Amino acid sequence: MGEIVRYKRDVWGEEVILGVSWDLLWVVAVAVLVLLAAHAIIMAALANKKMEKPSAEGRRVLRHETIDRLFHWVMAASILVLIATGIAPIIGLRIAWLNIHWIAGLLLTFVVVFHIIRSLFWQDFKSMILGPKDFGEPFDSAKKPGKYTFEQKGMHWAVTVVVLAVIFTGVLLFMQIDTPFWDRTNSMPEDQLGLMFLLHGLSTLALIALAATHIYFALRPEKLFYTRSMVSGWISEDEMTANHDTSLWSPKEAD
Amino acid sequence: MVATSHDVMPDIELYQPTDEANALALANTLGSAGWLLAGGQDTYGWLKDRNKTPSAMIELTQIDAWKGVKEIADGIEIGAVTTLTEIANNPLVQSRYGLLAKAASVVASPQIRNVGTLGGNLVQDARCWYYRRGLDCYRAGGNICYADSPEGLNREHALFGASRCVAVSPSDTAPALVALDATMVVSSEGGQRLIPAQDFFVGPARDIVNMTVLNEGEILTAVRIPSTWANAEFYFEKVADRNVWDFALVNVAAAIKVSGGSITDARIVCGAVECIPRRLEAVENAIRGQQRSEQLADQVAAIATDGARPLNYNHFKIPLMENLVKRAIRG
Repeated sequence: MGEIVRYKRDVWGEEVILGVSWDLLWVVAVAVLVLLAAHAIIMAALANKKMEKPSAEGRRVLRHETIDRLFHWVMAASILVLIATGIAPIIGLRIAWLNIHWIAGLLLTFVVVFHIIRSLFWQDFKSMILGPKDFGEPFDSAKKPGKYTFEQKGMHWAVTVVVLAVIFTGVLLFMQIDTPFWDRTNSMPEDQLGLMFLLHGLSTLALIALAATHIYFALRPEKLFYTRSMVSGWISEDEMTANHDTSLWSPKEAD
Repeated sequence: MVATSHDVMPDIELYQPTDEANALALANTLGSAGWLLAGGQDTYGWLKDRNKTPSAMIELTQIDAWKGVKEIADGIEIGAVTTLTEIANNPLVQSRYGLLAKAASVVASPQIRNVGTLGGNLVQDARCWYYRRGLDCYRAGGNICYADSPEGLNREHALFGASRCVAVSPSDTAPALVALDATMVVSSEGGQRLIPAQDFFVGPARDIVNMTVLNEGEILTAVRIPSTWANAEFYFEKVADRNVWDFALVNVAAAIKVSGGSITDARIVCGAVECIPRRLEAVENAIRGQQRSEQLADQVAAIATDGARPLNYNHFKIPLMENLVKRAIRG
């Protein structure tokens, strides 16, 4: 325990990076569990039982279009498959994980490229920009966000950075193995290969922490209406006005 | 690099159980720390080079229950610590399962066969020299296959089923047992598992570290060969760089049932071309129902190497494998 990077001797006897220390997987797992459990306990202690929950009844407004919901769930599924297949050999599960891993990785790459293009040209990209003003939002209960809250923007950009790192390093590693598109060359020098494995491993650990945090918040009672909107597309007008500034976000009515 | 002393044996705690229950209890207690030792022909190489340094060993050769050949209701059972010489010379094996007797008789050298066991021959580790040299390759927990690199020397390596690692199954008895549709008896403190020989071996796609499905605490204790293939027409041939004390470049084991000159059923398996013994089902299907002849052998031999992906230095294995399959079919 205690090390972040694993080293090995290459064929010439030189010390090179082998990859991330997978002891960190357990550190991340425990840290995330402890932090989320602490958050759940604090939230339960602070809960104001008299506070009324906004009603899901009444007029419905569109929060996520079908294509965006589809993107979200394909991305979620591919990330979960990537994490599961990546961890399997580390924890000693004997499954033929590599093909499933790169197929899920390709799927993730395609949907991320699709999302980047769509968000730049067909969506309200500005609504996701995290500016200096947003940082005051958590400390001012009177201040309501536009379409996305400070936490949602923060999660989005953290996931963006980590997923792009996973994809970049994953594609370089993908080029080293046999696929229907090319034959393996095994030509990347050992030190570069080790660096790619290290960055892929570190970004994977960050992605595990973010995915666990995201799932936790998606299941919290006060946030469940956002999760519902990722399934059905809508939130109620009551939920919108209770949580968002309608001068900053004025969605159309849901079908 | 820290200098390693080769002057004395490293400290190893040696356990020598004399009964099955003790051995299984030790295997369970010691887990991955308990290195299973039988004839030692795989083990001592690792120890000599200091590339594996187990802290404890469980010697299995004193357990009489795991020795010898005996008849069972449907065939025979061979104890896993029976030596290869005993198997090669056993009258029961010779008379009914000549394929296995022949395979056992061509393993390594007479001295090695005298101490080497069936179990050891089946579960021995990969013989890739980069791996055995102690390099941190994929199989050893690293992230590169030296044998498959542009400069790698891979004359002995795989034609099929490479997944990051290109090591091959080095066993001569494994193809014979797959051809005979044998069953592996795997014991642990938790009970017994019966595993078809074909499913006993695993390739690197599924497990890049281990070559068999054995889990920690499990021991291969016996091999059962059913009577289904007893006295079939057998063919075993091993081609190696030298006739003794060498691993196969390619070997072939075939069990063929012939009636009136026509092939009614067949199982053909090649070793040293993949990380597991490679069963040639397409060839078997092609010859089933056909007259056994030289022409048939010529026609179907190429099917055996369909999908082969030779490395830089092992293209020769393709015609070698096809010719061995040809010879197995024509008998």
